[in-house]
Amino acid sequence: MESKGLNKVSISLSIGDMTCVSCVSHVEEALKGVTGVRNVVVNLATGKATVEYDPAQASLTAMKKAVDDIGYEVVLTTANLKVSGMTCASCVANIQKAVGDLPGVFSVVVNLATGGARVEYEPGITPISEIKKAIKDLGYQVEEQAPGQDLLDREREARQREIQRQRLNLIISWSVGMLVMLGTFQPYWFFPKILPEWMNNKVFLFFLTTPIVFGPGRQFFIKSWNGLRRGLTDMNLLYATGIGAAYLIAVVNTFWPDAGFGGKEATFYEAAALLTAFIILGRYLEAVTRGRTSEAIRRLMKLQPKRARVIRDGQEVEIPAEEVQIGDLLAVRPGETIPVDGLVLEGYSSVDQSMLTGESIPLEKKAGDEVIGGTINKTGAFKFRATRVGKDTALAQIIKLVEDAQTTKAPIQKLADQVAGHFILGVHALSLIVFLFWFFVGYGLWFVPESRLILTPYLLTGMGVFGFALLTSVTVLVISCPCAVGLATPSAIMAGSGKGAEYGILFKGADAMESTARIDVVIFDKTGTLTRGQPSVTDVVVTGQMTQNEVLRWAAVAEKNSEHPLGEAIVRGARERGLEPEAATEFNAIPGHGVEAKLNTSSILLGNRKLMAERRIFMDGLASEAERLETEGKTAMFVAVNGAPAGIVAVADTLKETSAQAVKELHRMGITVAMITGDNRRTAEAIARQVGIDRVLAEVLPEDKANEVKKLQAEGLRVAMVGDGINDAPALAQADVGIAIGSGTDVAKETGHVILVKDDLLDVVAALQISRQTLRLIKQNLFWAFGYNTVSIPIGAGVLYPFFAQMVSPELAALLMATSSISVTLNTMRMRGYIPPIRRHGKSLAPAPGGA
Amino acid sequence: MKNVGLISALIYTGISLTAAGVFLGITLAGNYTWVARIGGTAWVFLLAMIVLMPVVMPLVKKRYRS
Repeated sequence: MESKGLNKVSISLSIGDMTCVSCVSHVEEALKGVTGVRNVVVNLATGKATVEYDPAQASLTAMKKAVDDIGYEVVLTTANLKVSGMTCASCVANIQKAVGDLPGVFSVVVNLATGGARVEYEPGITPISEIKKAIKDLGYQVEEQAPGQDLLDREREARQREIQRQRLNLIISWSVGMLVMLGTFQPYWFFPKILPEWMNNKVFLFFLTTPIVFGPGRQFFIKSWNGLRRGLTDMNLLYATGIGAAYLIAVVNTFWPDAGFGGKEATFYEAAALLTAFIILGRYLEAVTRGRTSEAIRRLMKLQPKRARVIRDGQEVEIPAEEVQIGDLLAVRPGETIPVDGLVLEGYSSVDQSMLTGESIPLEKKAGDEVIGGTINKTGAFKFRATRVGKDTALAQIIKLVEDAQTTKAPIQKLADQVAGHFILGVHALSLIVFLFWFFVGYGLWFVPESRLILTPYLLTGMGVFGFALLTSVTVLVISCPCAVGLATPSAIMAGSGKGAEYGILFKGADAMESTARIDVVIFDKTGTLTRGQPSVTDVVVTGQMTQNEVLRWAAVAEKNSEHPLGEAIVRGARERGLEPEAATEFNAIPGHGVEAKLNTSSILLGNRKLMAERRIFMDGLASEAERLETEGKTAMFVAVNGAPAGIVAVADTLKETSAQAVKELHRMGITVAMITGDNRRTAEAIARQVGIDRVLAEVLPEDKANEVKKLQAEGLRVAMVGDGINDAPALAQADVGIAIGSGTDVAKETGHVILVKDDLLDVVAALQISRQTLRLIKQNLFWAFGYNTVSIPIGAGVLYPFFAQMVSPELAALLMATSSISVTLNTMRMRGYIPPIRRHGKSLAPAPGGA
Repeated sequence: MKNVGLISALIYTGISLTAAGVFLGITLAGNYTWVARIGGTAWVFLLAMIVLMPVVMPLVKKRYRS
């Protein structure tokens, strides 16, 4: 709600995380500290803060920051909008500016490639209708995105409409434009023999060109005017001024030939017509590219099953998949798509999960196994219980992650957008300078009446100073257009994130993808990441006071309640030897050291050297044995019973089969590989030697892993941390890129910037390769988009004219401009056929797009 | 906000008119046709407006807010 007085506005903000009265006072104080805030009343029960403030001094951003800074949260509404009619980076900048300037909008991110806009706003200040109106006022169509299949259909329809519209414009402008060109060339070469003379009649050409300029070309005039009256410039303005000026010169020379614009011999109708045609060709190609690059999302959305077979009262009933509830019993037959996530209750089958995990071999499923909605049942039939439905299914989460990644901006794109935004202004300023130069200086010094426009029949004989300077000025406008810049980065990001999703590699945002590509060091957590995480007892060393079985039994008693993998290994090892450990009467885990426990009156201590030293238990007699075991890569755990040394239990984990290959490949890519573990240095180094790791961070307590990452970052290195998303969460968050491996299907809960669905270290390599390829693609695209401008602007401005007496015509400028769009489009398309090198010859090859 | 729009419009139109006036003044001193003088003046005015509008409006808005 919002009410206004004289320089005073009252709003109601939703505040999250408030639990008590002191929270109320904290929030009130924080908000009162914002300059311009007059009065604050916070209501704990409703979770609302009513704020009276002066909008000239205080902003929603400042209020949100003040609340966020003290640990609470201003709950904002997020709207996902579908914007159509955007054509370039300037459109993005304009919408972001127009919406961002609205008082209740906190953030707005617009993506040209997806045609999507995500707005974080306070509806009490600015309702969604006002946001939509601001976008519509700029001349774009906007609608709120609907979830799921409906969204897919609407998106596809909107995209098809845009493509069809531009295709129609293309057909009109090219068919009529070719007639205009033939008419213009009628007196030259062999054309007089095949074309009638009236085709060169200027009035006839006027009647052909006018519908092109005001038909297909109309969009540029309308959009540039909509922007301009709000003080915003975009690429449409370049087109509009270019087409408009070329057309005006032609009209003046047709009806007022003595006006000094070059006369009837310089009616550039074909310039206006072909300029429009080439620009529309560029538009059409961009619309098609946008459609193609979001194919990954569309392919994932297509996997969403429409029907489900639910068992009710013992009967199979077919219902829409979205109506399945958690707990429903479902039946799946061979060849059918599994409708939702669930747990198999009975039956046996193999399921193709390649479309979600990239795993090419179908997995066997039996009672107790998890199945994922959207995957395909291959051979048998089974029944399962639905555990996750709707937006909580793995498929829905993956779609959301990929969508989120595609709606965010990579840092490189922010820079490109900024440059493109200023570029338009710069081009108009340059065009003005070029005009003044040729008007006052260039024409008098270098104009040669016998000179001509490149690839046209025109001699510039009758061209006056104004006509010549204007022509050069217009050419600069047209040739400078950075229209490919808007697509260069987002189209590559979309293609890259889509490619990642094909292999079960999910990037949480474009910035994650760019950071991944720039990584210097990859740190692997040892247990469960490099190793299988299922260690087993290998050796039991005794002091002579007890037998091996006794030592193992005491160790198992201490660890019986432990959830640590090493503890579980000891208990398992004891049971394998026929020993059933009793439950300890007291148990205490000492993180990074070991455990202490009591069984009736006996005390047991199990852990590393540090623990024994702290408790003043001297293990001197066992030290050499411990060293030997550790050199072999085993973890030696000392056992003390009732304060006396009892022995050592050695446990070893086995390396995953792909660990060494992944490390080798990372080395080949020039990346330093490190391993982090709580194990002592000797054991850690033994493991590191086996896989070929360069750097070992040993004896690191779980809570210190993030600090170790920080230390490497302090050396100026960009660090990726690979671990499981739960235990290693702080280190994953601290790293430049946190890679959560083997997350399975619950991807939304994972910490980390990159989520690997499969538990395969080669996917770490694949993630790096895909991100590097994407960044390479972005750089190439930006080169084509900006590099072309760098070369062509001086030519358009006439630097060659004093030497060769040749000028670039506006239509040739438009052709060159369209070339940059075509280059970017074709370059991005290359990503479709890209296979990460590690998967080209690896054991599991890439699945065909779309899975089975 | 209306004031901001009006002040901005006065500034960028004023500067553009001045630039166009300077252009016309210079051409009057030289040997140019009236088509060149008027056409050039109009083109200078148009481009100056296009360049100045997006520059002046945020500046005025910023000053108004502060």
